[in-house]
Amino acid sequence: MGDAFRYLDAAWTVEARTRLGAALDPEKMNGITTSMADIYEACPDGKSRWLFVQCEGGKLARFDVGEGEAPEAEFRIIGNYDVFAAISKGELGSQKALMTGKLKLKGNMAKALRLAPLADRINKVLSTIPAQY
Amino acid sequence: MSYENKLSSPYYIDMDARVRKVQEAMKARGLSAYIGSRPRTLSWLLDAFCPWRSYIVVPASGDPTVFTFIVDSTRLADETWLPRDNVRAYAPMGGQDQVSVLQSFIEDELGLSRGRIGLETGISVYTPEGNLTKYEWDALAAALPGFELVNAHELVDALQLIKEPGVVERFRKASLIVDEGQKAARAALEGGGWKGMTETVIAGIGALAMRKAGSLSEWNFAGLNEISSGYRTALGACTPPTNREFQAGDPLMLDFHSLYGLCMGDYSHNYLIGPTTPVLRRHADNFVDLVDTVLKAYRSGRTPSDMAALMMERAEALGCADFCYPGCEHGIGMWGDEWRIGATLDGPFPYWTDPDHVYQEGEMLICAMQYAAPDDKVGFRYENVIRINRNDCEWMSKTPLAIEEIA
Repeated sequence: MGDAFRYLDAAWTVEARTRLGAALDPEKMNGITTSMADIYEACPDGKSRWLFVQCEGGKLARFDVGEGEAPEAEFRIIGNYDVFAAISKGELGSQKALMTGKLKLKGNMAKALRLAPLADRINKVLSTIPAQY
Repeated sequence: MSYENKLSSPYYIDMDARVRKVQEAMKARGLSAYIGSRPRTLSWLLDAFCPWRSYIVVPASGDPTVFTFIVDSTRLADETWLPRDNVRAYAPMGGQDQVSVLQSFIEDELGLSRGRIGLETGISVYTPEGNLTKYEWDALAAALPGFELVNAHELVDALQLIKEPGVVERFRKASLIVDEGQKAARAALEGGGWKGMTETVIAGIGALAMRKAGSLSEWNFAGLNEISSGYRTALGACTPPTNREFQAGDPLMLDFHSLYGLCMGDYSHNYLIGPTTPVLRRHADNFVDLVDTVLKAYRSGRTPSDMAALMMERAEALGCADFCYPGCEHGIGMWGDEWRIGATLDGPFPYWTDPDHVYQEGEMLICAMQYAAPDDKVGFRYENVIRINRNDCEWMSKTPLAIEEIA
């Protein structure tokens, strides 16, 4: 695990941004413009964090991790750190997490449903990052 | 987006005006938001067919937002006047169940933390009335602890009472569509066509003709087109069709329904399949006389109870009072708005028609009369959409009032 990043820290965020920028094909992302804030509750240090993803025209426009108030986003997904970590490790599908109530979505569901496959593509890229959780 | 509602159309409805009127009524009652769940409210505020359990949230100002079952949300967004983002979905997902989406919308998007919210509950003879269930009420109360929840459907009911010109035109069109169904049924029955035919088949023949003429559906919960034949005509009103085959000598009741622009056509016509008997003929003549008497009496200022008294007085004179139901009408409005006349709950039996409701010009109702002589195995039903005028009424289906014998 010597080369692994620490999940959600600054180096992991840079790596995630780089990999997403390279891997996300605007065409496969349906030229989408949207934003999503994942709210991580009960992180190992007891704090809450957010992970913010913004796409414009199918391209990654912003990817950030932070503490405190999350940026305004079209969708907010709220859940425990462990759940998001399991998704980032590829151990749990985001849709299953939503369907079992482990994650809570805030935003227009009718629109979110069409974005679900795109969120999965982002999660798939994140799962390739070697990380310590 | 397929929604069309042009100002130049005879069927135009000013949807913004409807919303404003609801908001004015909300303000008068001190409501910060109103959640409609009944199909009659949804039809009236969406101007779109909304069959799944849905909740339309009317804020103090601005456009309403509706939440419907995820499987139908895209279609609904296509057919309503509301902006696409105001048609939301609920689904079995975290934060997206019915109560969570309403809570989140009221607190996060409307920015409310306390106040009064109007809801819709009550009791009805109609199963899909859409009143909020106890479970829903309790769950909303638990999810919105800072709010007082109050039953407030009367404010919408009152606004629905007098029909706008576009609504009246839609009813006229729906009623003429029903006439097409009745024509097709008659053509299919005549010349021995009735032989081997069942109630369900004639229901379908009428339905096809009405759909070809522009009807969206037969709208009715009790088996769509309500048909009875033979002894079944004496069993009551609004009868779901069966596979009973017509027989010579049967009375036949064809109660057809159409839907145009969410306004409901409803015309019930009766036949005697030949050869008939003098007893059945006498019953038929009595019923036609009664309907004619009642139709000519409707006007503003009348009440349901004095219409019933007038009918029963005439029935007594004809010697058929024992066979009459003492009522002449039920309510009607856009899809989901059926049964109750009036908008208040101050009659002797809450949620039933107030017998002393005074009809006003511009109200619409179904003239609905029932006659049953079970010992003679015969019954009849008349229904027609009518608009109350100052000195008379307009009956909208033009199928002539008669009970003819068909061979």
